[in-house]
Amino acid sequence: MREKELSELVVKYNAGLAKPDELLAIEKLIENGELEITELKSLELLAQHIDRLTDITPTIEQDGRFYEMLGTEVAGAKSHQGSTDTWNWKLFLPRFAYALSLLVVGAFAGYFISHPETNSEVKQLTQQVADLKEMMMVSLLEKESATERLKAVGLTQEIADPSDKVTQALLKTLTTDENVNVRLAALEALQAYAKEPHVREGLVRSIAKQDSPLVQVALAELMLALQEKSSVSELQKVLEQKKTPKEVKEKIKKTIDVLI
Amino acid sequence: MEALSDNYLMARVRDGDPDKLGLLYERYKRPLLGFFIGMVHDRELAEDLLQNTFVRILKYRHLFRANGERTEGSDFKTWMFHIARNVKNDHYRKKKLPQEPVENWYDRIGHSETRSAQMQLEDEHYLLQLAMGKLPAEKREVLLLSKYHEKKYTEIGELLGCTESAVKVKVFRALQELKLIYQQLEKNH
Repeated sequence: MREKELSELVVKYNAGLAKPDELLAIEKLIENGELEITELKSLELLAQHIDRLTDITPTIEQDGRFYEMLGTEVAGAKSHQGSTDTWNWKLFLPRFAYALSLLVVGAFAGYFISHPETNSEVKQLTQQVADLKEMMMVSLLEKESATERLKAVGLTQEIADPSDKVTQALLKTLTTDENVNVRLAALEALQAYAKEPHVREGLVRSIAKQDSPLVQVALAELMLALQEKSSVSELQKVLEQKKTPKEVKEKIKKTIDVLI
Repeated sequence: MEALSDNYLMARVRDGDPDKLGLLYERYKRPLLGFFIGMVHDRELAEDLLQNTFVRILKYRHLFRANGERTEGSDFKTWMFHIARNVKNDHYRKKKLPQEPVENWYDRIGHSETRSAQMQLEDEHYLLQLAMGKLPAEKREVLLLSKYHEKKYTEIGELLGCTESAVKVKVFRALQELKLIYQQLEKNH
């Protein structure tokens, strides 16, 4: 656009007389770098006005919250530096007590669940069938043939409420199976149980152990879908591995950018 | 002053001196709070998001990378606003709330005691805040980022995942719509 036409358009805009097609022309000029927003006086005044809007200072309570959080972090950093080689009993004892109480509660709960007086025979039979399926699935996963192992992964879809044994077997397959397709199938099967904390943890732990770009990308996508922020460190490890392909690195970087 | 640059301070935080985050908090608490208030229209919530942003900065400090020898501070600021936007988006995602403007939001940000005086002294200022509240969230965000990034459109492009020229067009459209809303409010005032 010639200079004269451009200045006429700007004058028209500043007078508030620009028509819709002229507004589009202005947009195009801005996009091409031929016109700066600062030349459109009314908009520039508005932009300046926004810049002058006063910022509000956080409350004392907010400042207090921040410095409390920072203080905890600083203390943590110092104690970590000072006690890496000594056993901290003060920290360990409450954790030990908590773990022991969980064990006792778990043992009692396990006993009562496995001896419910109200269980009907039908329930028992259903459970036995499910147990058999689980056993079959776990033994099939040990087979040499990849097709058999794929079949085993497929069997999990028939198990309505799989036990931890099944999910653990699937996680093991995801991490150690030599066949990429079996690992991908295991990952797909595990998605259904991703709400379980131990499955999520297992998925996160398996990230850095993967050497297949396909599985790495699939895991990154799953972490994104789950919004699993604890996966960032493991994803970062894949990102830092020299052997990771460039495309996978880009995908993982984008995933980290969204998760953090 | 390299010793006081954002990037230098954040690198110290990353390398085991978290105390330095206090300086960055003091430097950016007002702009960040301004950004959040402009986006969520609720002072209490905005302070929560401000806190969460710094919690996340600490949590992910090992991921901070200052580019080369640059020390002017733009790296940290862009990274910080990237995290701030994620914190804000996560809030909406968790609560499944629409990012829509709220009527009379300006009353909810803790200005009640000063509002009448401000209305008398700065009527335009008040109307502009109201008009900003009526803008769609995306447009409001681009104007706020433009304010807090001192119109450095390349940096804003990095945050929004688009080119510098696309950011300019976004800013133009947002200002254009803001002008129309403002004029309408002025008529009814």
